[in-house]
Amino acid sequence: MFGLGNPELGVLMLALFVVFIMFGFPIAFTLMALGVFFGYFALGDLIFSLLVQRSYSVMTNDVLISIPLFVFMGYIVERANILDRLFRSLQLAAGPVPASLALATLATCAIFATATGIVGACVTLMGLLAFPAMLRAGYDVKIAAGVVCAGGCLGILIPPSVMLILYGATAGVSVVKLYAGAFFPGIMLAGLYMLYTIIMALLNPKLAPRLPLEERNVPLSTVFWALVTSFLPLAGLIGAALGSIIFGLATPSEAAAMGSLGALLLAVGYGADYTKRRNVLLVQVYGVLMVAFLAYVIVCGMTALDVDRRIVGLALFATLFVGVVLIPGTSFRLFQLKESVFLAARTTAMVCWLFIGSFTFSAVFAYLGGHEPIEKFVLWMNLSPTGFMILAQIIIFVLGWPLEWTEIIVIFMPIFLPLLKTFNIDPLFFGLLVALNIQTSFLSPPVAMAPFYLKGVAPAWVNINDIFRGVMPYMIIVIVSMVMLYTFPQIGLWLPNQLYR
Amino acid sequence: MLDALFDPLFSLIGGPKQLPLYLFLLPIPILLWLFWVEFHAATGRDTPAGERVVHLIDGLNSAIGKTYGWSILVLTFTTSYEVFSRYIFGAPTEWAFDASYMLYGTLFMMAGAYALARNAHVRGDFIYRAWSPRRQAMMDLVLYVLFFFPGMLAFVYAGFGFAELSRRMNEHSSASPNGPIVWPFKWLIVFVGVMMVIQGIVEVMRCIMCIRNGEWPARLHDVEELEKVMLEDAEKKKQAEMKAAEESGLRRGDV
Repeated sequence: MFGLGNPELGVLMLALFVVFIMFGFPIAFTLMALGVFFGYFALGDLIFSLLVQRSYSVMTNDVLISIPLFVFMGYIVERANILDRLFRSLQLAAGPVPASLALATLATCAIFATATGIVGACVTLMGLLAFPAMLRAGYDVKIAAGVVCAGGCLGILIPPSVMLILYGATAGVSVVKLYAGAFFPGIMLAGLYMLYTIIMALLNPKLAPRLPLEERNVPLSTVFWALVTSFLPLAGLIGAALGSIIFGLATPSEAAAMGSLGALLLAVGYGADYTKRRNVLLVQVYGVLMVAFLAYVIVCGMTALDVDRRIVGLALFATLFVGVVLIPGTSFRLFQLKESVFLAARTTAMVCWLFIGSFTFSAVFAYLGGHEPIEKFVLWMNLSPTGFMILAQIIIFVLGWPLEWTEIIVIFMPIFLPLLKTFNIDPLFFGLLVALNIQTSFLSPPVAMAPFYLKGVAPAWVNINDIFRGVMPYMIIVIVSMVMLYTFPQIGLWLPNQLYR
Repeated sequence: MLDALFDPLFSLIGGPKQLPLYLFLLPIPILLWLFWVEFHAATGRDTPAGERVVHLIDGLNSAIGKTYGWSILVLTFTTSYEVFSRYIFGAPTEWAFDASYMLYGTLFMMAGAYALARNAHVRGDFIYRAWSPRRQAMMDLVLYVLFFFPGMLAFVYAGFGFAELSRRMNEHSSASPNGPIVWPFKWLIVFVGVMMVIQGIVEVMRCIMCIRNGEWPARLHDVEELEKVMLEDAEKKKQAEMKAAEESGLRRGDV
């Protein structure tokens, strides 16, 4: 066509796509149509079987199966009305530390966002709950806003996160390895956020004044009980799902299914009517039994004894029994379940149709050899691997301004991936850096979802510029943590190398 | 374990291998009921004919997406059962793998048109958002004709040959020794493609209504993302406060 060779057609296709993305048409269909048009010119009728084969490969993809399950688990946790108590208990626990409210906010965000994986929900909920609490306690607007926005985005980095599944499916990297790799960088980033907040509070106590003494002076048993009833079950759920994936007990999709089941039980347990003495007693007895069960499993693991299957079965039936008994009078009922199911279906459809478009598009792009001119161009620039890595990260950072992470991962990653081989870069390591980098796409203007969500629910006098100014230091921390990960790759690669040699 | 219960059932439908077909057929009554509810919730006696068509198709596709959306719950239970049966009973099931991808594929394919009816497919909308509704509608209209319909028609055309071949061979899954039939799953491509085209026509009608009236016609009420609901609530509250402040200001002005 137009006297262009195939590789040039490929580049033209990509350029056209970048133009059309800006017209705001649903991206999945733009990708599909461009793939079909250019494929027809290059391949003729073969494009139809290519299209259907690629679509069918999305429909039977065993990596993507875990997406609906994790999304479903996220919506259940989100609709279960857990956040309130979680925040209160962590706030009590953080009592005497400087900037305790901000730290409790960060910790709540990290846990809740990790369990749900839904950034918008976490930011708006915390914007209504923690943000006014911090302002009332006399915190600086900027630091309060920064903490809520930055914390709310942690969920897409700390595994089990849906983003890493998308990256794994696009890059052909094992999701299990990605989860193991992202664990410590995620913890590191959350830790750095907290460290920065404490240091700022120590340097200038006016930014984050301490709570009055009567609010801090809570008996230890109350704090302990609050943590056991709100923090522990959720942390346990995430830990169990992640642990069983990392240690190879279950595939990601199996862990996600168990996670959804656990989230259902958790939602029922949280929402149960505890004014009834029977329910309290039941949950207490169940808790003691479960602690005994866990101790038994750990002892078996330490002494290399086989775990008796019947006991596992009993624990399971006990769990189901407690769940069923608690259902009457809970706040999580058929209505909330229905909402979670429908939202999960819609979100999954959005992501997977994007994959249908993207698989078709990138197959045609690869057939046309569109990578060649790009590769030639990059080689012509004569970059070192480090130089290429920095350039790639800068491009992703800039793409994060107008675009959201789904588009960046599903559409632009396939363009970078063939180049990684040329520069001898481990796609796993690259993925970890990208996962950190994507954090900024929520925070950077003009399409900074997190600050705009916060602005939407904040009191009217809070200025959007203050929010942006408050978010800025946390964006710099993201970049610092990227530099740290790049300088010491072992932060990310140690765990996967230990586990899967 | 439950063979005594299932065997007579299976013999009735021609063996467990035929199950995938029933996965699609059994929920149809629920689908029709949901469709009835959705359609009547939105449409009254005085709804104009054009809007009636829009609501009809919206309701149909939502009902399809919602009905088959429940396969997420089935998927949760079957996958969990597989884990239990592997670890506790020491016997992995034969059917779990086929069941998992079929349930997952059904879930997201059937919800495709539902997502389109709810405008839930992701857009690169950083410029689009700033446009007037009329301009948005014109751009959408052009791109539906230019991109959506050719792409989807190619999808249907390609899917038809693929699925029909599979049906003629009576193809069974090769993932397990007792592979169930896969052709109903492949026919899904054609069915969903057709539903997408129909929903696309309705979206075009929406664009035309918007170009005429200068604002987007309302969509059916449905469950929304939490952040969207909360942002709207906060917006309403702020407006109410402003109004109250204005009124009290006026009253003070009177005095």
